[in-house]
Amino acid sequence: MELNINGERYSFELKDETTPLLWVLRDFLDLTGTKYSCGIGQCGACTVHVDGKSTRSCLTPASSLAGKEITTIEGASSNAVLSLLQDNWVEVDVPQCGYCQSGQLMSAAALLSQNASPTTQEILSAMQGNVCRCGTYVRIKKAIEKTVEDLNS
Amino acid sequence: MKRRHFFKVSALGTGSLVVSTFIPLACMPEERETTYWDPNFFIRIDSDNLVTFICSKAELGQGTSTGLAMIMADELGADFDKIKVEFADGSKEKYGRLHLQDTGGSNGIRMVWKPLREAIAITRELLIEAAAKQLGRSASSLYTSMGYVHSAEDEQKIAFGDLITVASTLPAPLEVKLKDPEQFQYIGKPIPGRLTKNASKGTVPYSINVKLPNMAYAVIERCPVWEGSLVSYDDTAARQVPGVIDVFEIEPIEEQEDDYKGGVRAGVAVVATNTWAAIKGKEALEIIWDLGPNARYSTSDVHDGLTAYRDDNRAVAVNLKNAESLLNRSNQKLAVRYDSPRQAHACMEPLNAVAYHYGYKVEVWAGTQSPSMTRERIAELTGLQETEIVVNNHPTGGGFGRKFTCDYIEEAVIVSEKIRRPVKLMWTREDTIKTSKYHPYSSDFWEALLDDKGYPIAIGYQGFTGGPSAFRPFPYGLPMAYRSRLRYIKGWLVPRASWRSVMAHPWALGLESFMDELAHEAQIDPLEFRLNLLKKAEVVKQKRDPWVGADLYPAKLVGTLEEVAERSGWFTNADEDVFKGCSSIGYNTSYCSMVVHLKRGTNGLYLSKIFATIDCGTVINPSKVKSQVEGSIVWGLSALLTPSITVKNGQVEQSNFNDYPLLRISETPDIEVEIIQSDDVPTGSGEPGVPGVAPAILNALFMATGKRVRKIPIDLKTF
Repeated sequence: MELNINGERYSFELKDETTPLLWVLRDFLDLTGTKYSCGIGQCGACTVHVDGKSTRSCLTPASSLAGKEITTIEGASSNAVLSLLQDNWVEVDVPQCGYCQSGQLMSAAALLSQNASPTTQEILSAMQGNVCRCGTYVRIKKAIEKTVEDLNS
Repeated sequence: MKRRHFFKVSALGTGSLVVSTFIPLACMPEERETTYWDPNFFIRIDSDNLVTFICSKAELGQGTSTGLAMIMADELGADFDKIKVEFADGSKEKYGRLHLQDTGGSNGIRMVWKPLREAIAITRELLIEAAAKQLGRSASSLYTSMGYVHSAEDEQKIAFGDLITVASTLPAPLEVKLKDPEQFQYIGKPIPGRLTKNASKGTVPYSINVKLPNMAYAVIERCPVWEGSLVSYDDTAARQVPGVIDVFEIEPIEEQEDDYKGGVRAGVAVVATNTWAAIKGKEALEIIWDLGPNARYSTSDVHDGLTAYRDDNRAVAVNLKNAESLLNRSNQKLAVRYDSPRQAHACMEPLNAVAYHYGYKVEVWAGTQSPSMTRERIAELTGLQETEIVVNNHPTGGGFGRKFTCDYIEEAVIVSEKIRRPVKLMWTREDTIKTSKYHPYSSDFWEALLDDKGYPIAIGYQGFTGGPSAFRPFPYGLPMAYRSRLRYIKGWLVPRASWRSVMAHPWALGLESFMDELAHEAQIDPLEFRLNLLKKAEVVKQKRDPWVGADLYPAKLVGTLEEVAERSGWFTNADEDVFKGCSSIGYNTSYCSMVVHLKRGTNGLYLSKIFATIDCGTVINPSKVKSQVEGSIVWGLSALLTPSITVKNGQVEQSNFNDYPLLRISETPDIEVEIIQSDDVPTGSGEPGVPGVAPAILNALFMATGKRVRKIPIDLKTF
């Protein structure tokens, strides 16, 4: 089948229609920025955007996404909000092991793309689905708040 | 290069160094356009000026590779931003003893700091010597900076890469001077580093991303009860899943005497052309297990077993300052029990390893905290020589002690040997929660003999800890008796793995709660009570072992306690809505004190803020140190406030983040960390912030409710 990912067309053979987008990205297309961690939509490590909306790729069959616009962490160059978030992630020195951070960034980018001036409560509820075992939450919040300031200045 | 001198650096004892020159038999550089010089195992300099730091410690997110690269850049005079970082391969031939490579106990920077600086200082002197020859100057008029040897007298400079041909022919100096701290350009600065940049782009090369030609993907359905066995399995449905290649039995491997090795459960492996097919194949298996004797036991049996063992084994094993005879007096006593549950590591990158067993050699790609031990273990397992085992160590998505064990890499090697092709062995999240190795359940008994005013005269302890240790020191200077180490005689019930801060966690839950209880008995402010004791306490001597740092200095705990008390307003904040609790922990010669603020809201009690102060000697990178303490606090909060691992009839009852939830962002309070400035040897920051979290919060809970909670986890909303 064909998928539109980060503005490019990817063709691949899909033998099992139940295959989640996550494994198509990782095993078939070598887009390994999107991460497996729980497989049941509980941790957010696999978050991507489908038509701009934050989506758990571990629960979404690739076969359901024909014709949709998929954005992954690799698509930052064409997503100004994501790119700015990445800069602030470095500035605030957010990541520790880094494994969950693709998902954290994609959730934050989906929020700020829809709402450039979220309240603290809106930030927390948008990020509530993303687990970080290293415990970088304090800095994630700080980096998002900094991005909000940058977007509004 | 036709001829090169190498010098070898090997660490003896705690950081002493022997330097010798030798010419290796095979010293021809690999075929490439550039030539290179690798004067010691920490560094390689290419003729095109690329400087590669070979990081001997594993990177699990604790920032060690960034910190060590900063140390190297400073000692060499290199441009930190241009340094490439590679990870050591576990080879003892190159790296000598285990402790320079395997990563645990928050020891990375402390163990490598001195040998790294000495080796790099020698490298720097050789580059300067080579430049002196080339420029016809005296070496004393030259210095290094940003990848060049510079002349102090004029504008002349030579790039490191242009000096390696000459430098490699020079004999190494036997003595070198290390740089003075005021010459440091990077050490002490909050530098994000390359891992942070890559993680923000999703490009960190974790082992889970490895893809090799002809690589298969495998998962294993493991026996749900530890030490159970396989009776039979039906793989008909599994083999019908598109992409499934093979299904076969995995025979169990006993946990070895060194329990970081072995301990592979009985299982059935499913091999497929992609991960999803392997997972679906695994779900389609029908297996009959013999669950074995552990299926008769549950968490409550461990609790009761520890109680029974204690009743029969009360002898004092370590008697400090005659505590035993004091405890036998008939004065007023306080005696309490603290209980800590099992915990899973839940690294965000699930356990995984890629292995290729060629028949005559093995190569693995994994994120491991113990590349050296893993290599040794694979040699044992396969009967091959260690020199035929290559461990490619990758930065990994959290380790926390779980990735010090070898079992998941052993499994990958076994599967690859069976199919004789490269294989990526994946653990699903369920595997990592249900059939893993765990932080054990523990009970700790504390007792004190009190004088007429309720002040403690002697302390007694019985629990996992058998005596004074750098991870679990008693710093308060009182007579102290350790009774015989508490065991659950039927074994662990589930296997054990080190878990961030390991047994310092239950130890500190008891110690720092008990000190608080004693302060209230004596009717003294708990923080002041600690300061009074610590100011009178003497230095605690530590056993000299590479894994253990220096002696324990109570004065350093005083420093951290006083700083956190002042910053948090412990003595000055009179807000009656704020309930305060504190703790003070020494962990492997780092020191961390904490103050927490509890408040009552519409939904019950909640944490409004946590203040922490750490003394970890010389700070290499303050951003990473603070980050580690912030993360340690979140780790401690998850342990205290979210459900734990429980075992029923031998089986772990939790399976994924739905029933083993971790702390989330909205549950995380404000955290403010400060660092004590110090010129002492740098010590660790990855774990010292963990053990004090639970007792500090429980102490604040006592202030809020008058209730003393001695068993975790808890739900704050119920108070």
